[in-house]
Amino acid sequence: MDFSWLSDPFYQEYLVEGLINTLWLLLVSAVAGLILAVAMAMARIKGPRPLAWLATGVTAVIRGTPLLVQLFFFYYGVGRLLEGIPGIQDSIFWGLLRDPFFYATLTFTLSVGAYSGEILRGALLNVPPGEREAGRAYGFHPWQVFVHLWLPRAVQLCLPTLTGEMILLLKSIPLVSTIAMMDLLQAANIIRDETFLTYEPLLLIAAIYLLLTLILTLVLQQLERHFPGVQPQRRRFRWWAQARHG
Amino acid sequence: MTPSSPDCTDTPPSSAVVEARHLVKRYGDVDVLRDVSLSVAEGTVTTIIGASGSGKSTLLRCMNLLERPQQGQLTIADESMRFTAQGPRSGHTDMPLSRHQLQRLRAKVAMVFQQFNLWPHMTVLGNVSEPPVRVKGVSRRKANALAMHYLERVGMAERADAYPAFLSGGQQQRVAIARALAMEPQILLFDEPTSALDPERVNEVLGVIRGLADEGRTMLMVTHEMAFARDVSDQIVFLDRGVVGAAGSPERIFEQSDNERCRRFIAPAA
Repeated sequence: MDFSWLSDPFYQEYLVEGLINTLWLLLVSAVAGLILAVAMAMARIKGPRPLAWLATGVTAVIRGTPLLVQLFFFYYGVGRLLEGIPGIQDSIFWGLLRDPFFYATLTFTLSVGAYSGEILRGALLNVPPGEREAGRAYGFHPWQVFVHLWLPRAVQLCLPTLTGEMILLLKSIPLVSTIAMMDLLQAANIIRDETFLTYEPLLLIAAIYLLLTLILTLVLQQLERHFPGVQPQRRRFRWWAQARHG
Repeated sequence: MTPSSPDCTDTPPSSAVVEARHLVKRYGDVDVLRDVSLSVAEGTVTTIIGASGSGKSTLLRCMNLLERPQQGQLTIADESMRFTAQGPRSGHTDMPLSRHQLQRLRAKVAMVFQQFNLWPHMTVLGNVSEPPVRVKGVSRRKANALAMHYLERVGMAERADAYPAFLSGGQQQRVAIARALAMEPQILLFDEPTSALDPERVNEVLGVIRGLADEGRTMLMVTHEMAFARDVSDQIVFLDRGVVGAAGSPERIFEQSDNERCRRFIAPAA
């Protein structure tokens, strides 16, 4: 095992940049994707027909094709098509449209939107209708019923599944190394090509991923534990609380 | 009010808080309510009885427009509306009832449900303080004080921080009653408040409702607890296949109703 390359400042910089890009992609796609998921789920449950059909279609296509193919489709396909539009290269959006980060975020957002949207749809339908009716009967605005009663309950019901999706998302991110984006895997690839060491860089990023997953799991576990209404069911540390309070 | 003429409410007493006239409600081609008229005076308890499928719950749910009648007129807590094929219209104009009016009406009419319908992601305190905060714009601090007051009233103050899933059915229903009271409504609606409870839990809920009746609150209730209905009601309405079969004081309905079907419905209880 030869880890001497770790002291090379260039490689350190690659790895740090790769790590930062990975985390950014995770954060942006998770937030945008979950917002999209709520929209897709509601479009399918309550939306007007055409919107419901659109959401159903997008879900079917996204869930029915490989993520890597989607990534190539957006980056090489859509990206190259946009390039051909006259004048677009001078527009203020070109900086964004040229950046692989944009296409990676787009792909992952759609993916989270489709998969988590289905999870959320099931959860929304599983909330007993009486709870919403109670809100209506007391004069809640439909929007208040959704924001304060319906959605939080649905999230409560599917939170463990949603957090599982976020961990899967984290581990899909190395796919972006195929569209020339500097993520952790891309950094490892560069180091391998220059040092002719195959295993050591891979081992390092595998360890980083394992660590990231563990951290993410812990963070999401805290979220689950502190989600209102879920809290009383927790079991861990109960012995500690009992010991403290006698 | 004579049982043989359910339309006698055409000249309502001035203190009527609920005034329903000729309500018609259909689901597809099933007539659930066929020309129902009903009047509830302020500070009185009215109980709707009748066999399953007679339209009791539907009638009650028309009172806060969870169900919308297709025809008739309704005056509830000074909000007046007419129903036409196009939907509810506000009292005297032909304008559709606005969302604002609908919410104003609902804020004055609080409902207690058969299945409690508490919000499981909120504590007991949260459940009771949420409607005043969201609907009446009361500050959370004031709403919590209000909630504690009414939780005290139903004997649930010490469980304020518990989640509904950790309460018995009777306790949940008492919290639901506190939630209704915290809106400080003009009218309380009870939709079979004890039907989902274990027999040994029924009395704790009936006790709370009896206390409210004694306070002189205006209440409209659907129940199968005949003895209780007879005890607390000022008026009993016997609903029969979508029409008012008989209406009047408990004594009248339970002892000398001239409606044959009403007598037969009452018989096992009396």
